[in-house]
Amino acid sequence: MNERAMRGKKEMRKRLAALSFSEKIKILEKLRDRSLAIAAAGLRQQTAKSSSLAQDVKDQQ
Amino acid sequence: MKATLDLINQMQADGVIGEYAIGGAVGATFYLDPVATLDVDVFVALPTGGGGLVSLSPIYEYLKARGCVEKEEHMVIGGWPVQFLHPCDALETEAVAEAVAATVEEVGTRVMSAEHLVAIALSTGRAKDHTRIAQFIEQDAVDRKKLRSLLERHGLTSKWQKFENAYLGGGHE
Repeated sequence: MNERAMRGKKEMRKRLAALSFSEKIKILEKLRDRSLAIAAAGLRQQTAKSSSLAQDVKDQQ
Repeated sequence: MKATLDLINQMQADGVIGEYAIGGAVGATFYLDPVATLDVDVFVALPTGGGGLVSLSPIYEYLKARGCVEKEEHMVIGGWPVQFLHPCDALETEAVAEAVAATVEEVGTRVMSAEHLVAIALSTGRAKDHTRIAQFIEQDAVDRKKLRSLLERHGLTSKWQKFENAYLGGGHE
């Protein structure tokens, strides 16, 4: 990562750290909801994958 | 989080728990940029039963009676999974006693001091704890003098030196 990007990242973290606890908690809640959505999507994909695999096996029988 | 803290505070006012302090990633977020997490760690001294076992039953019963649901090692309060942790040593006990006042959407709460969060992370020593310590140092969010005295008091100086050598290039001041 180049130096400018690193500096920009540092600045952004500084700005975020300076927010009030309430504002930071709101961000945490958004991050948490996003993580849960990503995890759920992964599970859905896995389930779809395993059902299609099960169907393949069934078809082959 | 407002609803979560309201109910925890109510539980304290009703005498189910004593003083508590938020630790972990949510506690760290008080001092740093938001640290993604899925749960809230609440440290609270719990009554010990026979054989020195700590009982979470009074907390769980109180919360279940108010519609909260148990999920693995958490109680889901106001949408947040909350883990209640009994301070396991002198460091964590001190962290609860010396926690600082904070507010979330006008609801009062208590958060462990930055120095206690760093010391506990050092003592726990997982990769994510090391990352968190590095964030505190990089963002200059700890009082070095206070931290040093805390680490000395709780026998963590040599662990800190190892951490400094491994991650901060040694003698970071």
